[in-house]
Order: sequence, then structure tokens, then C-alpha cells
Amino acid sequence: MSNSTIWQSFGQRNQSEAFEELGQDEFREDLPMEADDKGLLDAKTPRRDFLKYLGFSTAAASLAASCEMPVKTAIPFVNKPENVVPGVANYYATTYTQDGDVLSVVAKVRDGRPIKIEGNDMNPITGGGTSARAQASVLDLYDVKRLRFPAQVVEGKIQEIPTFEAFDKAVSDKMAGLGGKPVVILTTTITSPSTKKLVGEFLAKYPGSRHVTYDAVSNSGMILANEATFGSKAIPSYHFDKAKVIVSLGADFLGTWLSPVEFARQYATGRKIDEKNITLSKHYQFESLLSMTGANADERFVHKPSEAGVVALALYNAATGSQVTGVNEKVKAGIMKAARDLRAAGGSALVVSGSNDPNVQVVVNAINQFVGAYGKTINWGVTSNYRQGVDADMVALVNEMNAGNVGALLIAGANPAYNYPEPEKFIKGLEKVALKVSFNTKLDETTQLCQYVLPDHHYLESWGDAEAKSGYQSFIQPTIHPLFKTRQWQDSLLKWSGVAGDYATYLKEYWIGIVGGQENWDAALRVGVRFPGEMPISAGSYNATLVGSAVAALSVAPKAGKWEIEIYQKVAIGNGAHSSNPWLQEMPDPITKATWDNYAMISAAAANELFGIDIRKNGDSDSYEVNPAKPMIRIKANGKELELPVLIIPGTDRYTLGIALGYGRIPQVGVASRNVGQNAYPLAAIKGDQIVFATYDATVEALETKYEVAQNQVYNYYTDSLGVKRIEVVKETSLANFVKHPEQFKHERDHLVENYAKRGGDYRNEGSLYDPRMNDRPGIHWGMSIDLNSCNGCGACIVACNAENNIPVVGKKEVMRGHEMHWLRIDRYYVNKPGGDPDDLADVVFMPMMCQHCDNAPCENVCPVAATNHSSEGLNQMTYNRCIGTRYCANNCPFKVRRFNWADYTGADSFKDNQIGIIDRVTLSMNDDLTRMVLNPDVTVRSRGVIEKCSFCVQRLQEGKLTAKKESRPLKDGEVKTACMSACPTSAIVFGDANDKQSLVTKSREESPLRMYYALEQIHVLPNVNYMAKIRNTDEVDEEHATPAHKEEATKG
Amino acid sequence: MSVLKYESAVRAPLVDGQKTYHQVTEDIIRPIEAPPSRLWKIGFGISVALLLFGVYSVYREVTYGIGQWNLNKTIGWGWDITNFVWWVGIGHAGTLISAILLLFRQGWRTGVNRAAEAMTIFAVMCAGQFPIFHMGRVWMAMFVLPYPNSRGPLWVNFTSPLLWDVFAISTYFTVSLLFWYAGLLPDLATVRDRALVKWRKRMYGVLSFGWTGSTKHWQRHESLSLVLAGLSTPLVLSVHTIVSFDFATSVIPGWHTTIFPPYFVAGAIFSGFAMVQTLMIIVRKVLNLQDYVTIEHIEVMNKVIVLTGSIVGVAYLTELFMAWYSQNPYEQYAFFYSRANLLSPYGWSYWGMMACNVISPQIFWFKKLRRNVTVTFFMSVIVNVGMWFERFVIIVTSLYRDYLPSSWSVYYSPTIWEIGFYLGTFGLFFTCFFLFAKWFPVIAVAEIKHILKKSGESWKQGQDELEQKEVKEFEHAMHH
Repeated sequence: MSNSTIWQSFGQRNQSEAFEELGQDEFREDLPMEADDKGLLDAKTPRRDFLKYLGFSTAAASLAASCEMPVKTAIPFVNKPENVVPGVANYYATTYTQDGDVLSVVAKVRDGRPIKIEGNDMNPITGGGTSARAQASVLDLYDVKRLRFPAQVVEGKIQEIPTFEAFDKAVSDKMAGLGGKPVVILTTTITSPSTKKLVGEFLAKYPGSRHVTYDAVSNSGMILANEATFGSKAIPSYHFDKAKVIVSLGADFLGTWLSPVEFARQYATGRKIDEKNITLSKHYQFESLLSMTGANADERFVHKPSEAGVVALALYNAATGSQVTGVNEKVKAGIMKAARDLRAAGGSALVVSGSNDPNVQVVVNAINQFVGAYGKTINWGVTSNYRQGVDADMVALVNEMNAGNVGALLIAGANPAYNYPEPEKFIKGLEKVALKVSFNTKLDETTQLCQYVLPDHHYLESWGDAEAKSGYQSFIQPTIHPLFKTRQWQDSLLKWSGVAGDYATYLKEYWIGIVGGQENWDAALRVGVRFPGEMPISAGSYNATLVGSAVAALSVAPKAGKWEIEIYQKVAIGNGAHSSNPWLQEMPDPITKATWDNYAMISAAAANELFGIDIRKNGDSDSYEVNPAKPMIRIKANGKELELPVLIIPGTDRYTLGIALGYGRIPQVGVASRNVGQNAYPLAAIKGDQIVFATYDATVEALETKYEVAQNQVYNYYTDSLGVKRIEVVKETSLANFVKHPEQFKHERDHLVENYAKRGGDYRNEGSLYDPRMNDRPGIHWGMSIDLNSCNGCGACIVACNAENNIPVVGKKEVMRGHEMHWLRIDRYYVNKPGGDPDDLADVVFMPMMCQHCDNAPCENVCPVAATNHSSEGLNQMTYNRCIGTRYCANNCPFKVRRFNWADYTGADSFKDNQIGIIDRVTLSMNDDLTRMVLNPDVTVRSRGVIEKCSFCVQRLQEGKLTAKKESRPLKDGEVKTACMSACPTSAIVFGDANDKQSLVTKSREESPLRMYYALEQIHVLPNVNYMAKIRNTDEVDEEHATPAHKEEATKG
Repeated sequence: MSVLKYESAVRAPLVDGQKTYHQVTEDIIRPIEAPPSRLWKIGFGISVALLLFGVYSVYREVTYGIGQWNLNKTIGWGWDITNFVWWVGIGHAGTLISAILLLFRQGWRTGVNRAAEAMTIFAVMCAGQFPIFHMGRVWMAMFVLPYPNSRGPLWVNFTSPLLWDVFAISTYFTVSLLFWYAGLLPDLATVRDRALVKWRKRMYGVLSFGWTGSTKHWQRHESLSLVLAGLSTPLVLSVHTIVSFDFATSVIPGWHTTIFPPYFVAGAIFSGFAMVQTLMIIVRKVLNLQDYVTIEHIEVMNKVIVLTGSIVGVAYLTELFMAWYSQNPYEQYAFFYSRANLLSPYGWSYWGMMACNVISPQIFWFKKLRRNVTVTFFMSVIVNVGMWFERFVIIVTSLYRDYLPSSWSVYYSPTIWEIGFYLGTFGLFFTCFFLFAKWFPVIAVAEIKHILKKSGESWKQGQDELEQKEVKEFEHAMHH
């Protein structure tokens, strides 16, 4: 026999120590575990645990042996990237930017894919709050209609240009041959300081060139007014938190005006109620349509859009003690009251206006100056950069283009062919421009008219920075390798100006120059934000010289016809940049509760006049509500004609129609925006170089035809059709009432104890046949507390929930059939003033409604197969693979929060070919492999035929508990947050362990015993979600209140 | 199997015509032996077509999802469970006639019990389709069966009324089927014995389990029938009581009502008798069995209809009263607005129900109308339309506007596939019934023969004479 050794490597042959050691290790590299877990691997099996291990291994072995395991094509890393642990999410601070909107966010990245946007709570301005649009923006990354390569556009069709070099060459050749005509860079508001510097450097290379900022919905009037009165072409910072009196003249500052997340957060601090010392800011709203902000106002007055100037002037006159004229009695009374409060606030007052008329803004500045707002509620020490566009610049550009004086147009983000009030003029001018290049992610209306398109990165693939307010910066870092052959537009500018290196380097150098050193830059990127230690405060230098001429200009109201139209932005869709986002399209509008459409909002009185629908009559309101087919009108204005369905929105001005922007996109823009609504931009008008988003003279004609609108809520009051207030559902009252009868809501709850728990006074345990003490166990008991005074209805939580929990988008037709899948919805209830005029709103209540996780859940005991049951931690759990879909639980849910998978929305079904023709094309596109990358791998994708519902984000709870367990410590309060809680800009939702006496949720319940209530408490389902009654700051006092009388005056319309 | 001890001579005979035993056999068995009539073929063809449409409707629903129906997040049950309860209700008459009327010694039941029992079985079969196919994942339907399984400690949820339904309906179906088949045995043997063709003899030989008619067989047959009658008597009350628990144990206003069990049972008997009327009026006409299903039968069933209809009416009024008396605003809304208000979206269904179930059956207080076959036929149809409305009212008008006004539903109307499923069960029902009428004796021959001696026309005449004679003798004796 040979005694030669067989060896595989030198190490083995030489029997080196290192090799021996390696051979003993089962795993060649470190296991993907955190540092603290190392001990786990070395631990020996203790004797006491023997049976446990035996049991586990037997079970595991039998499971592995008996089940047919599905074959998954998951491929392990050959070289594991650093810091990537499969199954563990990484979080990167970055910044959501879109047309000047800036939000510091954190992107959750799982296995290399960004799947969820969270607010960055390091940002002192937003404090981690987000908007629905920011939440939804991650889905745009995976949009199937994104442009995937640089291309030449020929007659609206794209032809690929194989390389960036070829593209650069083609463009620079053309640029060289412009014959001295200027290059114009057309963008929306740029908040990035480095980009601004870069643009400046680029323009320097092309003499005579310039940068034009065009905001589809601009704050141009405000910027000009500030220039006139403060000598600064900028927007100051507002502090709604410091204002005791807020007067908004048509500014939707909670929904769409400037920086809604920032303002909502500030506003909410003034609306929080400390029951021991009740103070509440007072909010007056003067507007034409019912905006989300108006819905939150304490007192609301309506006027026609053409009267906006007169109303501003009237407020100015009232505040300064002059005669108030030109407005009707109702508005006049409101103005006098508002002016009195403004004067009395001692500087803690704030007037904002949504008008784009510089004269109005000059007068508003004068009022603010008069009441002493500057330096207190308005700060010139920090200016806002959210909107920088001045309409006149764009008007001039279009004129120049038409004159043939523009050589090249480089368009980044702007889309005038769609959103310019005179698109034909822009398009005509564009034809005369020799070189048109678009940097865009989509083939939108303007891009398809350009010659070249170089697709831009999504912001989650980009480098960048944003300075939302002077001194407050937020950074953008890529969270994923670019999905397609795209290039950041800043990179192109650098290339074309002949600078070596890419934008990432440029950005780094720019910031290292400021922050000093790589380390500081890395730290800044890690945190995502940079801000001064203390906010500089300045009142600015006010100059009143132009007030006189503004007053004179406003004293004559513009000529107006009977009907007027106001064009507004929806909270979800905004100016239309996100209109191809299915989550936003399916998010019900906070006010109208409609999805997937734009329409004309009209007042109840107008509906009566046009269609004879009297919503005060049950018969009329029933048939209007229960049929999705809504009446239609034909609108003629500005020489344009539109046919739109009508939604009756009480509280709209008598003769004003509201039409939302952002609809009527071309099919190339996206699957979700195709054939959705109509474009309302052409109804805007350019008046004296200012774009006015209203038409003062329109003709309106009722049509015989109907059009179906998909709403997720059709009945709009908490007073039922018999005139009974459902006070167990919604509790709201005026501040005066609440001060007079602070125990009012508590009494209503005490009655339950008197009636059902006489023995021990313990309603929870005595009021039932079952024994709910089963659920009063030690350990965690999850609970949620929602303050109706803080919730403004913005819907960020809805989209956050969609993203976190893989909730399918079902499309318009399915929403219309009541098949939407949202686990969380915001119920909106109108409250009318006594008197019976439906347009006379006392209040609008927004009530977030999700599974209440009842401890005595009616859904649980009716399921024949026990597919839904209660956890020891108080969660109402849903076991999808046990569910057989009888829908009995959904029927028996008094809150109607359970959702059924009516069709194969997700492709998770085992039946083949059952989607096409059945589910909406949008749902199909959400099933595309690209779009499915957004799915949260921690949450099961539900198959057809099962019920689903809010789980309190159980995957987050489990992850948090596991982390705590690994670190051998109890879970800390605030360590786990539900998606809705972390998305909320106003902290209206608080979640935590109700058994923990120190937790936020316990405190919020204990600190507000007078307002705390559980919805439908009388049916003893014992919800784990409680609400805080809504208090509006008005001084109306009801006659009697001590008893929970159901029979109140019929106040429903 | 008759326990009748005495039959009054004053009562009208239960079997008309001067029938002999042989004639009874001839009349009832003849249609089985004759080739099917044209009318039968047309009827059967239509039924099968409906059945196939139903099968396609169900195929679509199973393949594409419950979204093929117009149910929504608020209205989780609509036509499906309405039809389920409707069919179950119809399935009540058979057992009632077989078991309870037996206990109450109602001799007239023999004329209709066979067909009524068959109807019960077919109706329960139809009813069963709905809870099965209303499931989102019908392929997992076995989860409702409590059997030892490999899915860990997973067991059914015994607190769920739907599970009680599973037990109640399956028990009811099993017992009804056994009862019906046990009664069929002697008659099937008769068919076998009369058979002239080999295959018929063999087939009925197998079906009749080798019945010879020996005393021992009869003795066992009687005992079995008695046991089954005893078993099914409580079932008549329990099945619809349990079905009513689906609603009564819930928290939804309009469902959460303690009156439901008796109200449902009365309603079930009401609709069951109406369906028996509908079918028997057709059968006696088509198969020429007027002598066995007489005007007396029709009248007595009409009496039951007016009684149960009135009970149901009282229940409706009680509900309204309780809604008012409770001062519960949610109850009041369900009853006074969603239902009793004719102008509310579903007001038509409530008043349709009232008109069909409470008001119109009152015409049966008049003897002339009670004995009118045409009127009875139309009334029986109206009653079943009304009872369908009742279930629709209970299910849909309670669900579509419950606690939270934000969740109130848009108007619900069925899709073609929802209607198709319902029509399909009609197809199933009539296909079965046509097959039954062709292949089985629609009237219990043996049982008719039992009563022939006591309530047949000729016997009654003899009794009459005898009674006269006795009276005369008595008078005569009194004179002395």
C-alpha cells in the first residue's frame, strides 16, 4: 500500500495551524449576527433544556420530512456585501424632494431594496412627520412606466441611444450649433444648494443663458409681495405653534400650501388639550371651497374666489379699525370677530393667504405687521425655499420661445406642456427651440415633445442635498443601485460643462468645503440633516410704501359672473407630479372621500339648484349617496369646455365649483393615471404675468348623463337619517360647552357603569357573559390612543399602512364596489350648525379607523375555523392560511374594518389565469415583478378569498420584542411604532403597551379622562384603541348637555 | 305505519274515489313504468339547463373569487346567505309532515309526506350549496369538520354559529334522507314486483334492499320509522333555530334579536308548506293524483299557512315594538329607517315582505279561497317570494347601514353570476324533483293503503251508514 498522503491544499499538507482551525469551524465566515449574539453560538445545551431541544428538533425534522417544500430560487451572496444581513433591514437617511417639497426621511432597505419611507425624526422642523406623497414616493421608484435608457424622441416615441457617450455627443454637437442663442434650464423649484451652484457654473459656460424656475402651482404673488414689503424675494418661516389666533385666507396650509407637514406639526401643538389647563388656538378660515385646512378650522366663512381681494382688504380694514365694506353680512361678522381676536392676541397672531395676487399678499403682510406677527409667528431670520418660481419669468420665457429667441431648453422636472395655463402657446414656442432635452423619469407631456430624453434617477437612487429653509439642510444618498440606465441630471450638466468627475464627488467636495472634513460629511449623511443650534429670529425690515396702491387695487372687485371656478390641489395628488402613483390615486381624498378621479365640488345649495337634489331630504340624499353614478355638469370657461361629475360638498361657496389639478395625464405617464380625470390647468389664467387659479366667469349647465365616482365613504354625518346623533361613535363639542360641562363625555361613559356594572363598577369585567379577565394578563397589552383634536385628515398614515402591510391597490371599479383593501381609513363626518342649512358647517371630524383589536371581539367567536383569535398581548390576530372566507367576521365587526380579498389582487392565488379581465389594469401593474420589489418581505401577501385587517403592524412588534429579548431586557416604550403612528406629522396616534404605567399610551389615557372614550363602548366589545373627543374652539353653548340624550335636534342637513 | 286509532266519520275522506288497494298501486306506480311525458321532458330540460348555468356561475366564483358577486366590505352576505336560509326554510315542511304531524296523529299527511320529504332533501341540498360556495376558499372547506388532523392543535371553533350550522344541517340532511328512504322501501319493492323488464327489476331490487313484505320486515320497518321520527322531531325545531343563531348571536342591529328562533321556525314552516303546495298542485295535476292529494289536503295546509304567516306577522310587529321600546338608536335606525321606511333604499324589500307574508295569506280565513286550487297555487308562490324578501331584509338591510355611518354601503344589487347561482339551485332542485317524480312513487303507496281502510271514501261511506244505523238503534233503544 502506498503511504502517500492525499491533500487538497498546501495548508492541509503542511497541517498548518490556521488550516486546522478553519477546518473545525463549520462556517467559513462570521454568521450574520449582531455582536451581542455571539454568545448564543458558543452556548452549550444545558441539561435542563434537553427536552426542549429534543422536542424542537423532532418537530423540525418531522416538519422538514413530511412537508413538500416549495422550490425557491433565492440565490445566496457569493461575496456578502458589508453590513447587509439577509432578513434585517438597513435604514438610510435621505430626503424626499419633489417640485420644492422637501422632507427629511429615512429609507428602509431590505436586501438591497428600499421598501418603506419613514420620517427622519432628527429633523427639528418636521420631527419625523411625513406626508402621504412622501410615503408613496417609494412606489415611484418601481414604476413600470419609468424611462429605462437615454433616448431620442421621435414623434412622441422613444428610440434608444445606446450609450451615454453617444447621447452626450449628440447633445453637445447640437449645443455647439446654436448660433449664439441662449440655453435655458427650466426647472421647478430647486432647493439644493449644490445644484444651484452647479447650474450657475453651467450657465457661465454658455453666456446669455439663464435658469428659469417654473412652479406649476407657484407662490409667485407672495414672493413678489415680500420683495415689495421686505425687500426680499423670499418666503419667511411661519410658526403656527406660536400663534394663538390663526386666520387663513384660502391657504390650505395643512394640506397643500408650502410645507404642510411642518405646519401641521406646529398647528397640532396649539390644538393639544391639557385638561387641567385648557387652551386652544383659534383658527379662522375664509375660503371658497372646503379645504382640508378649512375642515379643521374653528370658524369658517365662504366667499367667491373673485372676492378674495375684497375679503383680505376687509380684514385689513377691520384690523386697522377702518370701515369694512364689500362683503356680505356673514363674512363681515366673521371678519370683525377675527380682527378683534387678531388684535387681542398680542402678536401671537398669524394671517396667511393662499392667493397668488401680490396685492393680496401685500395687504396680508400689512395685517401681519399691524398685529405684530413678524418676529413672533413669522420669522424672517430663516427663510423658506419651498417655492421660488415667479410666474412672470415663465411668461417671459414662453414669449421668448415664441419669438424664436431660445436656442436650447433643458427641462428638469417642469412640465409646462401639461400644467401651463396656455399649453398651446408653450408647445408652439417649443417647436421654435432648436434643442430640447428633458431630464425626466417619465415620458410626460413635455418630454414627448423634446428631441432627447435622458432619464433621471429616482431620488432614492440619487445623491443630493436640499435646503428647505435657510440653514436647515437635508441630504440625499442613494439607497439602491440605479435600476435602469439612467443618470442624474446634475451629472449631465457637469458632463456638458466639461467638468470631470461626477455629481457625487461634486456634492461631497461642496459639503466638505462647508462642514470641514470627510468625517463630518459622513456624519451629516448618516444623520441626514444639518441645522443651526438655535433658530435665528428676525422680524425683517418692513416697508409700507406699497400698501396704499395694493389697497387701492383691491378695493375694486374683479368682474365676475354667476358661477366661478376655483382650481385646487388635492392633498394626495397635488400638482399632478405623483398622479401615476397608485397608492396616492387610491388614497381617498380627505374631504370628498373620492378616489381615482377629479370632479366638480359643489355646494348643497348649488346641487339643489342644478339637479333638484336636496340633501336635507332623506330620499334625495339616499339616492345620491348609494349610487356611485353622480350627476354631471358642462362647464364653459376661458373658452374651454369640460364635462365633469359633481360631488356635493357642504360648505362650498354657493356659486363656486372646485376642480382638482393633476388629472387628465397622457397614457405614457403611468398606468395609474391613464384615463383618470380631466386636466384642469387650462382653466387657470394668466393675468398680468400672474397665474390665477380661478375663473371668475363660467357657465354651468346640468347634464342628463351620469358618471361613476368611486368613494370609500358615502354617508357623511354621524347624525343618522333619523336625526339621531351617534355619540358613541363620535364625540365632539365646542370649547365653550366643554368648559361649561367638562364631565359631559365622562358622564356618557359613566352611564354604562351605572347600567351594566352596578355591583363593582367595573364595566369591563361585569358587562359580559364571557370572562374578559382572560385578557387582563400580565405582560404586554398593546393599545392605541388617537386624539381627534390632532388628526387633520392628511392621510399619511393610510399610505404608510399600504406600504408597510403590502395592501393591494384594487383600482377604481373595485373601490366603487366597496372592495378597497385599506386597513386604515379616515372617516370624515360633517357636523352642521343648528338651523338646517347643510352648507353651514359647525365642524368636520376626522376619525382614523382601523381594527380596534377588541378584547371581547365579536369577529373572533363567529369564525367557524378559529382563523381569527386573540393574542395574550391583546392583539386580534388574523391567520390567513386558516381563513376559509365566510366573511362572518366582517359582518359582525361593528367598525367594518375587515377587508376581504374579492379577487386575486396579488397573484398569490394558486389558480392560474384568473387575473386578466377580472382585476384592474393598475392592480395588474402592481403585480409586475418590478413593482413587487416594493413589497415588505415581513408581511404575508394575502391570497384570494381570505379576510385581512389591521394587525397593529405585528411584524414590527415581533421584531422589537425579539431585539429586546436578545438583549435580555424588557421592551422600551416607543421602541416599536406602528406604521401609522410613525407617519403621522401631528402625533395624533400614540401606540404602546397599555400595561406599562409609564408608556405614552397609558399616560395619554390617564391624562385626558374627560375626553377619552372608546368607540361603541356600549356594545362591550372592549376595544384596545381609544379616541379623544374633538373640541373646536368656538363659543357656542348647547342648551342642555348633562345627559347623554340621543334625541337631539335633527342637525343633519 | 299509522297510529290512527279512530277516524271520525264526519271528517271528509282523505282518499277520494272508490279505490281498491290495487287501484292505489296502479295510480301511483303507473307513471314510473310509463315512458316520460313530453311535459316531463321539457321541464327536465329546463331544469338541467338552469343547473348547468348555476354550475358555470359557481365555476366563475370559485375561479375568479367572490368578487364575481356584488358583495362588499359592508355587506359580506347578500343573495348567498339569503338563498341559503330560504332553501333551508323550505326544507322544513317535509320533516314536519313526517315527524310532527305523525306525533299529532294527522292522518292527512300520508297524501303529501313522500313528496314533501323529497322536497326537503332536495331543498337542503340546494341550501347546502350556499354556505359551501360562499366561502372565499371553498377548497379549504374541510377546515370546518372537527376531525383529528395534521395541522397541529387546530380545531374548529365551537362558539361559532356557522359551525353549529354545519352540524345542524348535516344532521338534518342525514336523518331526513334516512327517514325518506326508509319509507320508500316497501314502495320500491312494489315497483320491483310489478316490473316487467329485467333491469328495472334488478335496479329496484337493489334499491329496495331485498324487501319481501314479511311480517318481520314490517315490524322492523315500523320500529325504524318510529325511531327516525323521534330523532327528526327535535330537528324540525333545531335546524332553523340554529340558522337563526347565525344572526341572533351577532352584534349587528337587526340581527341581535332574541325573538329569532321561534320566528325563524314559524317562517320556515310557513315557507315549507307553501313550497309543498306549489309542488303538489303541479304534481297532482300532471300525474293525475287528485284523488290522493285532495282539496282537503290543500285546505288543511292552507290553514297551517295562515297560522304560521300570522305568527310571523306578530313576530315582525314585535320586532318593531321592541326597537321602539328599547330606545336603542341603532335598533331604531335598522327597523324604522332601513326597513319600515318605504322610501329608504331597501324599503321596498320590507314592504314586499309584509305584503307577501303577513297581509296576503290572510285571504285564507275564507273557506272558499282556501279550497280554491288556483288561488292556493298563486298564494304559495307569493309566500315564498315573501319569505325570500324576509331573509333579504334581515341580512341586507341590517348590514348595509350598521353602527358606523362612515361604512354605510352603496346600493347592493346582485351580479348575473349571483343570480345564476340561485337559478342553478332551482335547476338542481327541479332536476332532482323531476328525477324523483319519474323514478320513485311520489305518494307513499303503503301508507295510503294503511289509511284507505279508515279514511278512504268507500270506507267512510260504510262508516256513515253504520253510524246512521247505530244512531237509529240507539234511538230505538231510547224509546223503550
